[in-house]
Amino acid sequence: MQIIIFLLMALGFVLGIVVLVALAFSLAALAHALLPVAKVPFRYTLRNLQVRWKTTLVTAVAFTVVVGLLTFMLAFVNGMNQLTEGSGQPGNVVILSDGATDEAFSNLPGGISVPMFPKDVQTMVRRDGDKFWAVKEVYVIVNQEIANAGEGQRKRRFVQMRGIDDPELAARIHAIELAEGKWFSGRRHEVVLGDGVARTFGKDLGKDHAQPGDRIKIGPRDWEVVGIMKPSASAFGSEVWAQDTQVGKSFGRDNSYSSYVVRVKDPKLAADAAALIKKERSSQAFAAMTELEYYAKLAQTSQQFLYAIILVAIVMAVGGILGVMNTMFAAISNRTKDIGVLRILGYSRWQILMSFLLESLLIGLLGGLLGCALGYLTDGISTSSVVSSGQGGGKSVVLNLVVDTTILAAGMGVAWIMGAVGGLFPSLSAMRLKPLESLR
Amino acid sequence: MPSLLEDLQNNPLAQATLVLSALPLLALLAWAIWQPKLFLLALKNLRRNSLRTALTCLATLVLVLMATLILTVVVTLDRFTTEKARDFKLVVTERWQLPSQMPLTHAHYLDPSSPSFMLDRSEIGPNDFMTWSFYGGTLDPGKMTRENIVFFFVMNPKHIIPMMDDMQDLDPALIAKLEKNRQGCLLGRERLEAINKRVGERIKVTSMNYKGIDLELEIVGELPRGRYNTTGIMNESYFNQELERYARTKGKHPLDSKRLNLVWLRVRDRATFEKVAQQIETASVFADRPVKCETASSGIATWLEPFQSLLWGMKWVLVPAILASMALVVANAIAISVRERRAEMAVMKVLGYRPRQILCLVLGESLLVGGGSGFLAAFLAWFTINAVGGLPFPMLWFQYFMIPTQALFWGLAMGFVTAFLGSALPAWTARSVKVSEVFAKVA
Amino acid sequence: MSAPAIVRVRDVHKYFTRGSERIDVLQDLNLEVMEGEFLGLMGPSGSGKTTLLNLIAGLDQPSEGEVWIGDRLVSRMSEGELAQWRTRNIGFIFQFYHLLPVLTAYENVELPLLLLPLTAAERKRQVLTALDLVGLSARLSHRPGQLSGGQQQRVGIARAVVTDPTLIVADEPTGDLDARSAEEILALLDELQRSLKKTILLVTHDPRAAGHAHRVLHLEKGQLVETARAADETRIKLG
Repeated sequence: MQIIIFLLMALGFVLGIVVLVALAFSLAALAHALLPVAKVPFRYTLRNLQVRWKTTLVTAVAFTVVVGLLTFMLAFVNGMNQLTEGSGQPGNVVILSDGATDEAFSNLPGGISVPMFPKDVQTMVRRDGDKFWAVKEVYVIVNQEIANAGEGQRKRRFVQMRGIDDPELAARIHAIELAEGKWFSGRRHEVVLGDGVARTFGKDLGKDHAQPGDRIKIGPRDWEVVGIMKPSASAFGSEVWAQDTQVGKSFGRDNSYSSYVVRVKDPKLAADAAALIKKERSSQAFAAMTELEYYAKLAQTSQQFLYAIILVAIVMAVGGILGVMNTMFAAISNRTKDIGVLRILGYSRWQILMSFLLESLLIGLLGGLLGCALGYLTDGISTSSVVSSGQGGGKSVVLNLVVDTTILAAGMGVAWIMGAVGGLFPSLSAMRLKPLESLR
Repeated sequence: MPSLLEDLQNNPLAQATLVLSALPLLALLAWAIWQPKLFLLALKNLRRNSLRTALTCLATLVLVLMATLILTVVVTLDRFTTEKARDFKLVVTERWQLPSQMPLTHAHYLDPSSPSFMLDRSEIGPNDFMTWSFYGGTLDPGKMTRENIVFFFVMNPKHIIPMMDDMQDLDPALIAKLEKNRQGCLLGRERLEAINKRVGERIKVTSMNYKGIDLELEIVGELPRGRYNTTGIMNESYFNQELERYARTKGKHPLDSKRLNLVWLRVRDRATFEKVAQQIETASVFADRPVKCETASSGIATWLEPFQSLLWGMKWVLVPAILASMALVVANAIAISVRERRAEMAVMKVLGYRPRQILCLVLGESLLVGGGSGFLAAFLAWFTINAVGGLPFPMLWFQYFMIPTQALFWGLAMGFVTAFLGSALPAWTARSVKVSEVFAKVA
Repeated sequence: MSAPAIVRVRDVHKYFTRGSERIDVLQDLNLEVMEGEFLGLMGPSGSGKTTLLNLIAGLDQPSEGEVWIGDRLVSRMSEGELAQWRTRNIGFIFQFYHLLPVLTAYENVELPLLLLPLTAAERKRQVLTALDLVGLSARLSHRPGQLSGGQQQRVGIARAVVTDPTLIVADEPTGDLDARSAEEILALLDELQRSLKKTILLVTHDPRAAGHAHRVLHLEKGQLVETARAADETRIKLG
């Protein structure tokens, strides 16, 4: 195992050096092409690409596949990151039972309230009159049979349900708005669905998404849908919200909560408030963190995906690089005479090197542009995934792929590197050709 | 891990790739016998531009390697979620909630060796039952890190060999040790390394999920390599004893009546499953803490449901994209060599070679490159990854993925298919080379 | 001849080693070419005439001895210096023309000028002049593939003269052409020598081509063996 890791590291080191050298050369080639210095005419490069357009295209399309896939995968990770970032409100503090890091494993007493916290904290919490901005939430994951599951399809899924003591306040604290319907009253078995989970239940009902008035089965009973949340890039979009008492009764969590979320007056105070609550251990001990921290930890999964994606991208890039090397080596062996003539006419080795490297870069950029365009098409596609802190728990979420300029830049960057590395060795071999021998 | 034979009988991917690798292999073999000269010529041609051949081989190699790893994950997870027809396991868990937490008494009704067993002893024998509790903790409560966390399946040691997956070959001496030493535990290789402990040493665990139940354990053995690399197994009697002690001194632990997480039963066939599930789900003894029955595969499928889009993407976007770029690299390489050899092919035609033979020559070269490096890649993955204990890809409780033997067919098939797709057009171009045109250009 | 020697080859020795074997290509060779002279260099294959041409053109270095062009000691210049020097001082004409196939006639002729500090307008003027000189003003935007062999060689000649070099070297310029085209090319070289006073070094094994030179040297087994006036030479050979 150690030997393999050592070999991989050595390989990575060598590849890293090669990439750096290739990057340096490619930047020189770019500067060489743009600056007013004597050089092999750009038309020569362009026309050659044009003359053997089939090869150019096949090589570029290999780049397109790599870059398109990379963009697509990064858009997925980006969507997950935006979701975990979007779920936390800057002024919110999440309080869990002592030792818990995830609300799925947290048990808070039913009587929890702001006055249980130190005085300093109490003054930090935002309030309307004498009502604190604080909400008690009980979070359960329900193992649910899927209504109308077809033959050969999954029979069960997990439904994430959040019982809330005061829906209107909770909506304000979590910045959630309703797209349709109203909040539940607490008198009947009513639920409000996140936009993502509304689509999931919609499928069971044979329509686009569930609507107010629909009846769905969660756990031991039927619930009436009374409202649908507005789409937002947050984990709440994948949750079913209902009155705390009814969730507690249905799932054996009477008078017990998972989390207590309070909003402080100024987002800057959130970290201090969390620290103070955590420190206070006289009467009852709690775990507390800002909501931003809480959801940032859930980005662990996207980190893991990111590493996997980088690995896949590197391997695919190596494939693309080898492809462009074939193309460029062939181009050079077809054009040894050209190179010989240029050298005899007085062109230097350096100018030859730059010209061929530029040719390879152009193939890379062409493929990269197509790939980015392809990847950009995936922007906004809705899909599902799991976010977790990597230590148990975790939430299944519905998210949208997000292609932004950073991702497009990464795609073009990878295309550039592929073009540079793939072009470097052939160009160096072109540079080393002896003019007299190449004319024979 | 299923044997190659089982895969070839049951797994459609194994069957398809077997066909896709056998057909081109047979074709190449037949060609080599029928026209050995031409076959040798193909080999020579590959050696002629050895740089291009090497680059193409290398590209195929890394891409097949990647595709093999991805397919391994997909196929392994698929296998766990595929319903078996016989001898499968049934999981009893809490009906609605996650995590499943049941009272220990639930187990008595389902344990064939207990007097209150409620099922038919002719259907569920003593070796068809197992219970799990989950106990996790840290070796350093002051500083919890990923490295010093340990996780245990708490269970009866007797049930390990008959009931746990991939444990058939476990050394019975280890079971004896566990039964003798109630504070004994088995740990996976990687966990041992992470906490820097050896077999024979003792550890003190501060619990994270059972607050106040801190255990002192002695490591009596190592779990088999592979899927159990990061977990541990401990004796349930020590765990239960500590919970009782807690109850006597401090009153019942909050999780006292929630300590049973899973009950496993083995059933003979589908009909038995339906019958047993019906009996359990409607039993009055479970009425106040209702339970549900699932097959192990459908249980896992539920857990994997949130990963569905991801797995779908791996299977239907990632793998095809890798194959596509492979085909493009091959197509490019073969097209270049065909273009370079147009004159030569025209000469061959003049000498009386038929278009079909020239087509075969190009296809043959390509298949040799693709199949050869594809097989090599799969073999490398299979050999090295399995030697180091599997591909690390943490997903739910899956930590490591072993490369199945059928991957050797995947490699061959992927190599052959992409080589064929990539070279079909260039080979056809070569076939249709017009002698007159070529010589007109050369002159 | 009163003009000073522009090419001076002094005691040049050139050999290659193949394994332990030493192959002498040129031995104790001395040669002077006057400014404005049209010199023919003849000899059988393998006699070393192309090697001599390459030494004079700065494409190769002698094993021993010196090569002077004007006041520059070419045989001691570095590769980089040689490349720059060649652009300004030597015009090449090849047997197989060696035009870049993807560039037009105009662009091929412009190629050496791109290495010189000229404005675009100056370049254009020089290219058009050179192409006019070889009579190809009407074929500016044709690619080599669209031109006949003779026309391609004219583009080659235009490319050789466009930098106004000190010396034009031509290696079998008519070797790949039919008799009529060959005659046209040779006439063009005559014209260059006469009107532009260019020094031309012509390597050939075709007596007809050598007949256009003022002076013809014979190279045999690495040594200059015979000197004769071109006219006499032609007479002898044609009988």
